[in-house]
Amino acid sequence: MQIFLLILFGFLAGIVGGMGMGGGTVLVPLMSFLDLSQKTVQSINLISFLPMCCAALIFHAKNKLLVKQNVWWMILPALALAVAGALAADKASNEALRYCFAAFLCAVGVWQLIVAVRFEIRKRKQKRSDDDRPDK
Amino acid sequence: MELPAKNKWLLAALSAAAGFVNGFLGGGGGVIIVALLLAVVKLHQKYAQATALLVILPLTVVSAAVYVIKGNVDWLPTLWATLGVVAGGIVGALLLKKIKGNVAKIIFALVLIAGGIKMFF
Repeated sequence: MQIFLLILFGFLAGIVGGMGMGGGTVLVPLMSFLDLSQKTVQSINLISFLPMCCAALIFHAKNKLLVKQNVWWMILPALALAVAGALAADKASNEALRYCFAAFLCAVGVWQLIVAVRFEIRKRKQKRSDDDRPDK
Repeated sequence: MELPAKNKWLLAALSAAAGFVNGFLGGGGGVIIVALLLAVVKLHQKYAQATALLVILPLTVVSAAVYVIKGNVDWLPTLWATLGVVAGGIVGALLLKKIKGNVAKIIFALVLIAGGIKMFF
């Protein structure tokens, strides 16, 4: 049963990830239904992301969607702190990590919701003003 | 586009924070990197999403390496979940063109909030 759920949850998160919306943020809460420690769930999330990321990068490179300028300003400091973060996770308790992830998810969810709703409102207003134009 | 020095340092500082989040929480850094590429580098959405993967890949490799070295990886469930993620990733990429972007984003945001609340209990 656990194997089926692992594949199913991975599949569902993969669909979200494949659409470019952050599959990891779906995989971790789904995995919390299973009998796995938070550190194991986080490591599954990191490792399972790698093949999909490599495939997506090949696809994006072919479509010339990668903008390499300025990326070293991001990669180098982020690399250093990623190691520090992973080492801090090793020292933290599973419960603390779980609560931190939960808080992070809620914050990102609220922020994404605000951005998406504002965009939708602006789009509808624009459509209405276009429809009201006398020359239409 | 060449960024002013002030923006480069801002980018570096916030990317470092994204790196820490990605290592500490085992993910989530991509959301921050996409936001930075949109707000600071001023890339369009699809370029930001694609370029974010370029930044996130090395972070994920080093974070995963630390998890492996520290013995926090259980390989069998990782293998099964990875199979699912790869298959789902292909389906997601194919579905991308058929779903209205903003509706999907609203649903996704609600799923995130629900997931976060569930993890608290």
